[in-house]
Amino acid sequence: MLPNARSEFLAGCRDIAPVLVGTVPFGFVAGVAAVGAGMTPLQGIALSFFAFSGIAQLVVAQLVAAQSPVLLTLAAALVVSLRFLMYSAALSPHVAHLPARWRVLIAYLMTDQMFAMGTQHDVVSGERHHRHYRLLGIGVTLYAVWQASVIAGAVAGAQVPAAWSLDFVVTLTFLVLLVPALRTRADLAAGVVAGAVALLAAGLPYRLALVVASLVGIGAGFLVEWRHRR
Amino acid sequence: MAASPVNEWLVIVGAGVVTFLTRASFIVFADPHKFPHAFRVALAFVPAAVLAAIVVPGLVMPHGTMELTPANPRLVAGLAAVAVAAKVRNPLVSIVAGMVVLWGLQALA
Repeated sequence: MLPNARSEFLAGCRDIAPVLVGTVPFGFVAGVAAVGAGMTPLQGIALSFFAFSGIAQLVVAQLVAAQSPVLLTLAAALVVSLRFLMYSAALSPHVAHLPARWRVLIAYLMTDQMFAMGTQHDVVSGERHHRHYRLLGIGVTLYAVWQASVIAGAVAGAQVPAAWSLDFVVTLTFLVLLVPALRTRADLAAGVVAGAVALLAAGLPYRLALVVASLVGIGAGFLVEWRHRR
Repeated sequence: MAASPVNEWLVIVGAGVVTFLTRASFIVFADPHKFPHAFRVALAFVPAAVLAAIVVPGLVMPHGTMELTPANPRLVAGLAAVAVAAKVRNPLVSIVAGMVVLWGLQALA
């Protein structure tokens, strides 16, 4: 690696360090959940290497545990992954000049945390020829820590005392991403409506509440924004 | 439908395909500016809606039924984490604060 590339990579590793305290227990919980759903440890670890998305892994684990049909499980994984479309659209101008293999690598490594850190001003304003190494530093660090945590969880299985309430780390991780995502009135409408519908629809089978609530929330945000623009 | 190992591996590979395609959508395959304006407006609300649909039930119905009371430690801990997140940008601080409040309330109960 060139000296500039190396320093950008290391800067990326430092950017992501404060988030890792949430990544370790979250990954651990995702590993435990896969085994708890009836998958073998190998399957739980494979799921993590293929999907590399905590929430998708948890949703898949819940639906496998509920013996939901394959297509329905994948539809739920798709809905919770819809936010990647938005991240991908927002990140694309910053990586459009890179060769395809770089863009494939960055896409594979992209997570909520990488998006949040990688689109901050001091990252995207970095020198064009090397700033993708900073994204790579963020992505590789998260990837390594995540997979190690999932493996530990899948191997340890259900031996974690429930009294530790480690699963609450998952809710908190998404909460700290949700708060800064609520900037405008339309954002707030999307969040409040999605949250309310998620509660009202909680009785639906196969975690369909998540799918329905997300789509209705997006619609609510869109309507508020559209009326505001007229 | 009975669970079978074949189904589980299908789900594992399928989840990999679904997550990769959504991530790669605009980074690898398409230019977002070629899509209708309304599509891009709607896309902007995806994080708020999806994250809220995950977080709100985790706080309000942690055991599958509605617990919208101050006696629900996860709700109180979550609101504490929101208050911290609104003031402090570092996500580490909010996550630790939420867990400490939860453990404290559970120890008191």
